[in-house]
Parts: sequence; C-alpha cells; structure tokens
Amino acid sequence: MTKQENLNDKWDVQLRKGTLELVILAALKERTLYGLELLKLLHSFETMKITEGTLYPLMDRLKRDELVSALWRQEGDARPRKYYQLTQQGAKKLEALTNRWRQSVEDIETLIQNPSPQPINPKGE
Amino acid sequence: MSEQSLIHDFLKNLSKYLSRLDKPDAEEVIREIESHILDAIELQEQTGGISDAKSILDGFGEPREFANQYVEHLLKGTPPPKGFKAIQSVKKGATKTLYYSMGLLGFGVAAFLIIIGVGKLIMPSAIGVWSAAQGNSVVITFSEHVYPNSDELLGYWLSPIAIVIGVGIALLTRSVLRVLKASIQ
Repeated sequence: MTKQENLNDKWDVQLRKGTLELVILAALKERTLYGLELLKLLHSFETMKITEGTLYPLMDRLKRDELVSALWRQEGDARPRKYYQLTQQGAKKLEALTNRWRQSVEDIETLIQNPSPQPINPKGE
Repeated sequence: MSEQSLIHDFLKNLSKYLSRLDKPDAEEVIREIESHILDAIELQEQTGGISDAKSILDGFGEPREFANQYVEHLLKGTPPPKGFKAIQSVKKGATKTLYYSMGLLGFGVAAFLIIIGVGKLIMPSAIGVWSAAQGNSVVITFSEHVYPNSDELLGYWLSPIAIVIGVGIALLTRSVLRVLKASIQ
C-alpha cells in the first residue's frame, strides 16, 4: 500500500465515524433495502466500504432509535429478508444532518479557497 | 472445516453471546445474519466465483465483538426508568442465587395473594383478614371457623384487592428478573 493509499484509508475511516449515520439514512431515502443490498450500494462508492460487522449493529441501533423501521418480506422463492426503510423521524433527522453536512462542506471549502493572507469572508457575515 | 460447519459454528457462537438480549430479539438477529450469509454465498456463486464462507464471516469480525455491539446498550445505553436506579447497582453483583430467590419470593407472594383473592370468592366464610387483639394485630386465615374475638376487615373487597396486588407483584417480579437475567448471563 502506498503512502497516499494509507492516508486515504485513514481519512475514510475518520470521516465515516462521524458521517455513517447520515450515509445510512441517505442511502435509505426513498428506498427500501435489505442488509446485503444496502451493503452493496455503499460498496459501490469508493469511500463508503463498511463491513457487515459495522452495518448490522448500526441498523439495530437506528431501529431502536425509531429512525428506520424493519419488515421481514419474502419475494417469490427467495428466502425472507429483513427490509429497512426510513421512518418519518428518520426523514427529519436526515434533513437536519444533510443541512449540517452541507454547512460543514461549505465552511471547509471556504477555508481551502482562502489561503492566508487573503481575508476570509464567510457567507452571511 | 466445511463451509456449513463454519457458518453453523459462527451462528452458534453469536447466539451464545447474544443471550443477554430477549430471546425473540436474539433470534431475529441470528435470522437476519444467517439470511445475509446465505445470500452473500449465492451472490458469489452467481458472479462466477467460488463460494467463500470464511471471507463473508470475516466481515462480521469475532462473534463476541460483533454480539457486544448489539448488547452494549443494555449495559450502558438507555438510562433506567425512574425508580429503577437501585437495580442498576444491584445487578452488578447479581448471581443466579439472587435471581432464583427473587423469582421464588416475588412469584410466591403474588401466588399467595391471588389464591386468597380467588379463595375468598369460593369460600367466603373460610378466608378473610381479621383484626384481632383489639386491633393490635391483623390475621389472614384459611379456616372453617371465624377467627375468635376479632372483626373481619375488607369483606368481599379482599378478593379484587388481593388479586390486583398479586398480579401487580407478579408483573413487577417479571420485570426485575429480566433486568437481573441480563446481568448474570
């Protein structure tokens, strides 16, 4: 693993710690998915490759917090699967976290785009 | 070790470490994880690969660590409801003896009260609460005869009162035992 790849991995782990709940809620926005589908969806993004060991206990916590609901469903001859979807409370939390996330990105971007000695003029101030 | 054995052992271990959860909750976790593993193996086969249960199980980590994430909220998560704080201290030192003693005492008292309540309806003159010794003591009797030198208290009200208190004690005992069970396993 190159030094850059190592740095990327560490960065991804740190970022995921703070954003995983937002990521899961966003993944379930207007979607109803079972665990493996959700995991595959996340794995299709470079920075969101979480493990089964992280996903399932988190889903259990989100369900206890009533941010998602779960329902066993069987489709055709397939084995029954536990499908997750956002609750109304989950949708509200997703909206709040999305706004906060966008604010953070904007703030970081402002800092990156304004290296010293340029004066910083954050939006709205 | 065959793939089936690997999966079986993993689920068995997981089940053991999930025993702090209520049985239906633990069974649901096992059912979901088993479904995931079988789906993932099928997916590996469908995409032309060789099924590799070990690589899938590795994604869950050690069964104990994985299970701990499901049960940790029971130990440190949601604060106990009002009036239950004492149980948080008691359960740290809870033993099986305490668990069974608590069950015996709680359900014993509950059964006793319910028997009195029901018995009063069946044999009203034989069961009662009596104020004896000029009100200095209260006696509960199962007797063919009225307790000597005494006045009966409550009358037929004894029946619903005893049954309601008995059922209440049984429900409370069940709640306390659940909390104790979570800490002794």
